[in-house]
Amino acid sequence: MNLKDLLSPFYVWQRAFEKPYTSMRPIEERPGSPSYRGFHINVADTCVGCGCCHTICQNDAIDMVPVEKYSGNKGDSGLRPRFDYGRCCWCALCVDMCTAGSLRLSNEYIWTSREPADFMFVAGVEEKHWQDNELGYRREKSYHLYPPRRIEMEMLSPDESIEGFDEVVKGYDVEQAKKEADRCIECGMCVATCPAHMDVPDYIKSIRDGDYDEGLRLMYRTNPFPATCGRICTRRCESVCPVGLQGDSIAIRWLKRHIVDQVDAKDYARILNDNIEENGKQVAVIGAGPGGLSAAYYLRKKGYEVSVYEAQDKAGGMLRYGVPGYRLPDSGLDKDINYIVSLGVEIRNNTRIGTDISFESLLNDYDAVFLSTGLSVPSSMRINGEDHPRVLSGLQVLADAASGRDPGIGNKVAVIGGGNVAMDASRVSRRLGADVTILYRRRISDMPADIEEIHEAQEEACTIVTQAIPVEIMDAPDEKQVIIKWGEAEMVQDPKGGRPRPVLQEDRMHEDTYDCIISAIGQGSNLDYLSKEVQEQLAIEWGRFTPGEYQHTSLEKVFVGGDVANRTADAISAIEDGHHAARGIDRFLRPEMYTELDQEIS
Amino acid sequence: MGNLTSALLERLERDFDITDITERHERLTTFKVTRDHAETLIRELRDREKYTHLNFITCIDYIEDGVFSLVYMLQNYVTHTMLGVHVDIDRDKAEMTSIHTLWAQAWTYQRELREMYGINFPGSPRLHEDFMLEGWDDMPPMRRDFDTAAYSTEHFGHVDRESEEPRQYMKVQFYPNRGGDEE
Amino acid sequence: MTQLTGHSASLDFSQPEPVDMSSGKYVKLWQGPQHPGITGNMSLELTLDGDEIIECKTHVGYLHRAFEKLMEGRNYIQNFTVVCRIAVPEPAFNEYLYAEGLEQLSGIEAPERAQWIRTLNLEMMRLASFMMWIGGQSGAFGLYTVPNWTIAYRDYVLDLFEEMTGGRIYHMYMVPGGVRFDLPKDFDKRVKEVMDGAEKLLDQVERVMYNNVVFKARSKGLGIITPEMVDPYGIVGPNARASGIKRDLRKDEPYLVYDQLDFDIISGTGADAYERAYLRLQETRQCISLIRQCMDRMPRSGPLQAEMPNVLHWKIPPGETYVKAECTRGEYGYFMVTDGTEYIRRVFVRGPSYTHAIAVMEKLAVGTNIADIAGLMVSLHTYPPEIER
Repeated sequence: MNLKDLLSPFYVWQRAFEKPYTSMRPIEERPGSPSYRGFHINVADTCVGCGCCHTICQNDAIDMVPVEKYSGNKGDSGLRPRFDYGRCCWCALCVDMCTAGSLRLSNEYIWTSREPADFMFVAGVEEKHWQDNELGYRREKSYHLYPPRRIEMEMLSPDESIEGFDEVVKGYDVEQAKKEADRCIECGMCVATCPAHMDVPDYIKSIRDGDYDEGLRLMYRTNPFPATCGRICTRRCESVCPVGLQGDSIAIRWLKRHIVDQVDAKDYARILNDNIEENGKQVAVIGAGPGGLSAAYYLRKKGYEVSVYEAQDKAGGMLRYGVPGYRLPDSGLDKDINYIVSLGVEIRNNTRIGTDISFESLLNDYDAVFLSTGLSVPSSMRINGEDHPRVLSGLQVLADAASGRDPGIGNKVAVIGGGNVAMDASRVSRRLGADVTILYRRRISDMPADIEEIHEAQEEACTIVTQAIPVEIMDAPDEKQVIIKWGEAEMVQDPKGGRPRPVLQEDRMHEDTYDCIISAIGQGSNLDYLSKEVQEQLAIEWGRFTPGEYQHTSLEKVFVGGDVANRTADAISAIEDGHHAARGIDRFLRPEMYTELDQEIS
Repeated sequence: MGNLTSALLERLERDFDITDITERHERLTTFKVTRDHAETLIRELRDREKYTHLNFITCIDYIEDGVFSLVYMLQNYVTHTMLGVHVDIDRDKAEMTSIHTLWAQAWTYQRELREMYGINFPGSPRLHEDFMLEGWDDMPPMRRDFDTAAYSTEHFGHVDRESEEPRQYMKVQFYPNRGGDEE
Repeated sequence: MTQLTGHSASLDFSQPEPVDMSSGKYVKLWQGPQHPGITGNMSLELTLDGDEIIECKTHVGYLHRAFEKLMEGRNYIQNFTVVCRIAVPEPAFNEYLYAEGLEQLSGIEAPERAQWIRTLNLEMMRLASFMMWIGGQSGAFGLYTVPNWTIAYRDYVLDLFEEMTGGRIYHMYMVPGGVRFDLPKDFDKRVKEVMDGAEKLLDQVERVMYNNVVFKARSKGLGIITPEMVDPYGIVGPNARASGIKRDLRKDEPYLVYDQLDFDIISGTGADAYERAYLRLQETRQCISLIRQCMDRMPRSGPLQAEMPNVLHWKIPPGETYVKAECTRGEYGYFMVTDGTEYIRRVFVRGPSYTHAIAVMEKLAVGTNIADIAGLMVSLHTYPPEIER
C-alpha cells in the first residue's frame, strides 16, 4: 500500500462545490428533445382513417374506431386511430407509416391520470394538454416505409402517337407491375370509392404473388370489362388512394390491365370456370354498352337466358364508338366482350328498339327488361348557324374514325368543349392530319376531361384557347369552310360561392375560319323508342331515369342503368349499374332465393 | 471464401461427407454433416483447424421437413472465419450427442435447447434443470407448433379490443348490398 | 499479432460433486434476483462454507420475454422495434446487428453517411454502457461516490441519444436500410461539450477509484481468468483482453467504418478484476476518441436510407447469416435465418453474458469470499436479458 493510494480518494471533496446534475422539477422544466418520441398528435381532419398505423403497430396498441364527426366516404373511412398507452412503446412506426402525414409525436412525456380508461384515447379528437405541441418526432421526408413514387409507364412519344391509332400506353411488364403492386398498402379505401367496388387490394396482391389466374377471377367478381377498364377507367379509386397523399397513388388502372395482358383469352374459360345452371327465365337487355353487357354477364351467370339488342353493327356502345383506338384498341374491348358472348349471351346487332322491334313486345316476351341505351345525342351549342354543314358532332367524328370511315374534317379544325369527347375528337383530328384548336368557355382547371387527356392533347400539339365563348357560326367564302365568331370571357366570381362563371366580353370578339367545327359540349339521351305512356311511368327527369335501390323503375319488370340512369356517366358506373340490376332482376324473378326480399322491388 | 477455408472444406467433404456447402458471407461458410459424424468433425475443427471458439449452439425448427437443424457456430481466430455446422436431427426423436466436454459453456446451450425445443443431449450436465422457464408444463415453446397467442388467451384470458378494418367498415356503412358477391 | 489460446487437455469442465447439505456444514444463500449487487434480474445460488463459496449456480429467466419467439410472428420492420429490448443498457447493438443482418440477407446496402452515424451511435452506446459499468463496479466494492458521478454523467450521453434518435434508452434509430433521420443541428457542439466533460470525469474517476487503496485491495487478484481459459470457456471482449488475448472485432473483422478510424486494441496481462476494470477505463477513453473521430470525419451530407421495398410485403429470400459486433462485453451476434416469407424463420441472439454469467461465473466464484461475489460478478460485466432473450 502506498500513501498516494490512501490520499487519492479524498480528492472527491473537490467536487463538493460543483453544480449538481439534478434538475429541480417542477421549478425547472425539462422538455424532451425536439425530435423526442412523446405522446401522439393526430390532425384528425387530415387523417383519412386508412388504418396503416393500426396495421404496422406491433403492439396492437392502435384500434380504428368510428368518430361521429367524420361520416366518411370519398376517401375517408370515417375511422380514426385510438391509442392504448397500456400497450404503446412509442416506436413511432405509426408515424413513419402514416399515409396522410397527419400523425406525429409530440415531445411531451409527462401525463398522469387516476382513470386507467383515460389512457385509451382518440388522438386529435379527445382534447389533450399536448395537442398544440409543435416539437417531437416526425417522419423525415426522405424516409419511407413504402415507395412513394409510381413506376413510370412507358408510352409512345407524342410524335409517334399522332402517326396513327396505335395504343399510346404500352403497359407494365411483369417486373414493373410487381414493383408497382408492392407499393399497395392494402387499406382497401379504393374498394368503397370504386363504383363497382372491385377487390382492388386483392387483385394487386395476386400480381405480387404472380398468380394472374386468381387476379382475373377477382376482377370478374365485380367487373366483366377488366381489359377495358384497365385502359380507360376514370379510376376514382386512384383519386382516393392514401398513398397518393404524400406521393403518387397506386397505378390501379394499369395494374388491372397488366393482369388481363398476362392472361390469354383462350384460358379465360378454364380460369373463370363459370358453370351456368339454366333457370329457364329470359331477360332482354337494350343496348350493348358496358352497362347492358355487364347486366347480361351477371344474369347469365345466374342462369338467365339473355338477349341483348344493339342498334349498331357491333357491340360495345360508347366503348367502341366513342373511345378512340389509341386509348382502347378493339382487341382489348373484344377480349372482354368475347368472353361474355362465350357464356351464351345472345347479342342482336343492328336491331333498333322502336323501329325493328317494339318495346312493348319485349315487355311481353321477356320476364324482365334492362334498359341501358346511353347518351347518344350531341347537345346543342344553342347559337345561330349551328346547323351549318361544316359543323360536325364530336360523337360522329369518333364513330366514323372507329368504323374506319373518313369523317371529312379537313386540315384545320376547331373543337368546342372541354370534356373527354372534346379531347378525343381533337386527338383523333390530329391523327387525321388536321391542325386543332380547342375552344373552351372556362379555364383548363375547370375542364371536365381527365387531366392526363388534356396533357396528352397539349403534347400532341392541340392548341387550347380557354375562356372562349362561341357566339355565331357563319358561312365562309369557300363553301368547304366555316367561320366561327367567338368572344373572350372573363371569369366572374359567383357571389353565392358557386364555381366562377364566364362572362362574354362584347368588345373582344374574334372571327376565325376553319375547315370544320367539331361540337363536343356534351350529350343527351334518345328515348324515342319508349311510348309517351311508358315514358310517363318511368319517371324520367331531364332525359334521364331515376332508378330505385336495385336499378328498378316504377314500371314492373323494367330495370335501368348506365349513362342514361346515373349522373357520373362513365364506364365503371355503368358496369356497376348492370351488375346491380342483375341482382335486382334476380331478386325480382326468384324471390324465393332471398330470405329477406327487399319490399321495394316486389 | 479464402484458400485456406476452401482447402479445408474439400477435405471435410472427403472425410466427413459434408453437404450443402454455402458461403453466407466472406467470413462465414455453412455446411451440413450427419449426426453420427458431427462430434468428431467438430472436435477435429477445434483441435486441428484452430476453430477454437464456439460462438453458439442453436436450433432451427423445420417442422415441414420433420427435422431440427442444429447449428454449431465455430470461430477461427487466425483466419477470422467462421464455420456454421448444421446437423439435422429427427424432430420426433430429438436427440443429439453432447459436446459438453469440448467447451465449458456448451452444456448451457444444450440445456436451453432441451427446454426450448425438447432436444435430448444424453450425458449433458444439469440438462433437466429449468433454465428460463421455471415450472413450465407445456410443449417446448420454441417449437414452431407452439402458438403463443393461443397460450396467452387460454392462460390469461386475453381479449382483443374492438377495431374496425377500413375496408369492411366502409362496405357496411356505404354499400352493404354491393361489391363482389359471396360465392 | 493475434495470440492463440487453444484448448488444453488439463482443463476440466465437469460439474462439481453435489454438496452434502444434510451435513450441516454448509449454508445456501440466494443472491438476487432482487439485490443491489446483481447486474439485473438474475440470481446466484451460493453454497457457503463459512464465508467461502464452494458452489455457485446461476439462475436466469426472471426477465424472459421470448423475444426470439415473438420475432418469428412479426414482420421485418415490426421486429426493428423489438430487438432493442434484448440488452437494456446496450440496445444499439441489437438495432445495428438486426439491421445489418437483414441488409445482408436481402442485398441492401446502407449509405455511407448512415454507416458513419451508426458507428457514432455504437461508440456512444459503448461510452454510456461503460459509464454505467464503472459506477456498478465501484458500488459493488462499497465505493458509492463514483456511481453518483458516472451514472449521472451517463445521463448526459443519454441526452445526446435523445437528441440524435428521439429516445434515451430504446433509440429505435438504426432502421433496416440506414438510420431514421439526420443528426440534429449543432449536434457536433453538444457532442464536443459532453466528451470534454466525460474526459475530465474519467480523470477524476481514475484518481478516486482506480488509485483507491480499498478498490485496489479488493479487486486485485479477484476472479483471475487465465489465457488458457479463454477459448474453452468462450470468453470474449475485455474479459479476454485483460488476460492478454488481443482480440477486438472492430479491428479483426472490421464492420461499418471502423477501418477508417484510428485506434488500437487495448489489452492487459493482469487477468484479474482490477486489470479488467482498468482496461475498461481505457476503452471508455477510446470511445471518446472514436466519437470525436466520427464527428470529424463523417461526410457532411448524403443519403441516410437505402431504397427499401414496402415494409408491409417485405419478403426476404431464403438465407442465413451470422453478424457480430464488438459491444462493451465482446462479441455480440445475431444469427438469422430467412425462408422467403414476410417473417423471419429464426433469430438467435448471442450475447457475451451467456457464457460470462454462467459457465465462467460459476467457475470463478468457487473459492471467493461472499463479500466479493458482487464485485466479481460486475467485473465480468454481464447483462441478464441477453442470456434469456
